[in-house]
Amino acid sequence: MANRIKTIDITDALPDIDDFCDIPNARISGEIFHRQDIYEQELEKIFARCWLFVGHESQFKKAGDYITTTMGEDDVIIVRQKNGSHKAFINACPHRGNKVCFSESGNARGFICNYHGWSFNIEGNLIGQHESGIYESSQFDASKWGLREVAQIDSYKGLIFATFDAQAPSLEEYLGPMTWYLDALFDNQEGGTEFVGGCIRSTMDCNWKIAAENFVGDILHAGWTHDSAARAMLGGAVSKVSDFEESYSVNWNGHGYEFALDTVGNVAVLGESALNKYLHTIKPSVIDRLGEFRANMIGSVSSCTIFPNFSFLPGQNTVRIWQPRGPNKIELFTWVVVNKTAPEDIKEKWRKGAMITFSPTGVFEMDDGENWEYCTKTARGRVTSQQDLFVGLGMDTYLEETDLPANVYSGQLNEANSRAFYQYWGDLLKSPSWDAMPNNNKGKAKAGPKASQISDKTDGIGEK
Amino acid sequence: MFYKSSDHLTPVSVEEYHRISTLLAKEYRILDEERFSDWLDLLHPEIHYWMPGIENRRRENPLEYGFFDSKHMAYFDDAIRDIKRRVSRFSQPSAWAENPGTRNVHIVAGIEAFYGEEAGEYCVYSTFQNIRSRGLDEEYIFSGRRYDTWSLVDGVLKLKKRLILMPNATLTCKNINTFI
Ligand code: FES
Ligand SMILES: [Fe+2]
Repeated sequence: MANRIKTIDITDALPDIDDFCDIPNARISGEIFHRQDIYEQELEKIFARCWLFVGHESQFKKAGDYITTTMGEDDVIIVRQKNGSHKAFINACPHRGNKVCFSESGNARGFICNYHGWSFNIEGNLIGQHESGIYESSQFDASKWGLREVAQIDSYKGLIFATFDAQAPSLEEYLGPMTWYLDALFDNQEGGTEFVGGCIRSTMDCNWKIAAENFVGDILHAGWTHDSAARAMLGGAVSKVSDFEESYSVNWNGHGYEFALDTVGNVAVLGESALNKYLHTIKPSVIDRLGEFRANMIGSVSSCTIFPNFSFLPGQNTVRIWQPRGPNKIELFTWVVVNKTAPEDIKEKWRKGAMITFSPTGVFEMDDGENWEYCTKTARGRVTSQQDLFVGLGMDTYLEETDLPANVYSGQLNEANSRAFYQYWGDLLKSPSWDAMPNNNKGKAKAGPKASQISDKTDGIGEK
Repeated sequence: MFYKSSDHLTPVSVEEYHRISTLLAKEYRILDEERFSDWLDLLHPEIHYWMPGIENRRRENPLEYGFFDSKHMAYFDDAIRDIKRRVSRFSQPSAWAENPGTRNVHIVAGIEAFYGEEAGEYCVYSTFQNIRSRGLDEEYIFSGRRYDTWSLVDGVLKLKKRLILMPNATLTCKNINTFI
């Protein structure tokens, strides 16, 4: 008998999904942040099926370099192979299930289980056991009892994703045209990006969707929630988002990116003029590389979530996973991303600037945490959890006539991305298979010829 | 626990120990009373206030300092300008989350004080516990160890360096909205 993972039989969909996730009417209910049965459905139908961010290629320099993380609540080890590729294994021994690798990162020739000494190489093969004679006399076939690999692993511009679902569409198809926008942060210079060393881990008593949705398309909160932090960092209020003449919300498969075209609005809140200057200095080369439109996005007022729980802020350069830990709790993994070719002092300013703004000690994030926790906590009230919650801003903002890829909506003060996020979430909870997923994408799967150009309205904004 | 301090330093006199230990107690009382500008007065203009992130690493794969690294991410890695910005955020009327405010108790214990390498400098080691309560029922407690350098400026002791180490690789709450 071989070490296998039994197929998880898809359970029936909850009967009341349309009640708590009624996107055509722009309503959701607080119970989605509280109910244990919904959470269990999410682990099965979202986290065991979707592509999840597991690491950045820069975290692995040589064979045997590894990090440990989780996919949903499943512990995994990501390890670089001799040929430069990466494998992801379930971090649980196939003997009795003990955790195999306890450290969060490092380099290893293999992994040895503390319990009975099963020893695995970096390819995941079982290569030895303590008291190996007894296994031989039990006709044990070690070749069948290696660490279990995830179903698929792939990367885009340094970002490594994995999925437990062999039936999941390819990463390319899953991300779709969102990659065009991801390039604004992750590929604006030759060589791409790298993560600063270390990972700050912290917990928050909130539902994972509240955090993911905040980054998918909620710039609305920034001017209000973060007023105190903006004043502290800049000596004044954050730029008024409604003053931008041109901004967008774009989404695809539940992923969303909202952005202005002001080049440096996000980076400015780090209060380090050298960083603004760096972005202005590289901008001409970004125009050559990506065109003018995306060159205006490299540090603009913007945010993004790749469904379900991978998020980042261009400019602040903070990168997150919101790891689900029950309906009322998340574990946050926080990194800082920088251009590989940026000068060392610029990288250093980003390391510190990102931490003082968006981290558990960050002056911006402290206010987010309060909001997210209490959006979650109020939903424990049986009656309160049935209250309709409004997600109806920007219902009529869809842009038919545009060469920009993905589903494009005008204006970033808009709940279009939040609706798309919850729509995709609800669809996954309802769908027994990927084939059964409705296609709600109506925009372009590829950028049209004029996508990289900028309109008259945009021209010059970045120079102000 | 993580960081190997020197055992070759000379302990300060009883009088100096008294002066330093009461100063540490006063510092925490000031923080508990939200007297941030008085707290800023205790800081040296060239302060390095550093609380690195703790990484759960195997012994054969140590970072620069075992569990932490000066080039890695940190909770605090501040110069005076950064600390003043944090204080300024607490003082804004629009710091919505600080109204009602957070109630703090800081406890310092295990104070050791030595003459530093430079004249007028003192190496001061201590352990701390911070208890915060917010709202009706939120409570967060964390503890750790501090490695300070205090320096005499015109006869007044100023905090010039502080390394704060907590044992946790995961901060088990949403933020650290205080100073340690
Ligand atoms: S549980 Fe790992 S060797 Fe037994
Ligand atoms: Fe926020």
